[in-house]
Amino acid sequence: MTDAELIARVLTREDQHAFAELVRRYQSPVRAFLTRMTHGDAHLGDDLAQETFLKAWRKLHTYRGSAPFSTWLFGIAVNEFRTVARRRKELALEDVNETVVEAAQPSADSPSGLRLDLTEALKRLGSSERAAVLLCCQNGLSHEEAAEALDCPLGTVKTNVLRGKEKLKRWLSGYQPYEST
Amino acid sequence: MQLREQTPYIDDNGFTQRIIAALPLRRLTWLRPVLLLGSAAVGIVLAIRWLPWSNLPPLDMSAVLSLNPQVLSPWIVVLSVTASLIWAVVSAVLWDD
Repeated sequence: MTDAELIARVLTREDQHAFAELVRRYQSPVRAFLTRMTHGDAHLGDDLAQETFLKAWRKLHTYRGSAPFSTWLFGIAVNEFRTVARRRKELALEDVNETVVEAAQPSADSPSGLRLDLTEALKRLGSSERAAVLLCCQNGLSHEEAAEALDCPLGTVKTNVLRGKEKLKRWLSGYQPYEST
Repeated sequence: MQLREQTPYIDDNGFTQRIIAALPLRRLTWLRPVLLLGSAAVGIVLAIRWLPWSNLPPLDMSAVLSLNPQVLSPWIVVLSVTASLIWAVVSAVLWDD
């Protein structure tokens, strides 16, 4: 069953099973996105993801279908993050301290040095760049879809993705994944 | 860019169940227009039964211009009730949550 068919069932019959299927389809990318946006705080990420899906249930009648459902859902997730970030300033950090980043070393107790380094590097991106990179590079949204989800101009998204990717490449250029023995 | 490959699938582990359990009660979007339509129907029956349709004074231009309350009052009541009922029916039919 397609997303559109599930949405129609939710809207016409208040079908909770159909909505549960939508949640199952998108819980992983939404939770992963919000966990990375909250600097790896899985508990906070899950709380925001829960609010995202509850809001999606309440506002589903406003979804017009002009963009993929995932784009609409990420738009709600971004708003939930921004609401929390307004209260917790460290989450909305926009200025990157590159000196700190370049001095950072991969953790030896990680099973995957690259993964940890990527996670750490993402934390050091400003929230706008992080959101744009995560939506486009992690979740495969087009620049146009990301602009809609982030409710910002297309040019801003392109710039944030480009800058974010450049920073990540620069910060990660000295790191190599640990070889499994 | 290895970001996508480095993002493992997150197991549901009861997440969906928690969402469904936390959903607000059925929104009953149909209830409000149905109540409105029902009230309008009752209002129409009462209006037909109780309004003085057969005793309305004749209404011509001179009566309107005279602003005679004895002539105008029954008409104002009838028009007000009729307009309210029409508004209620239209609102119920065009109801959009």
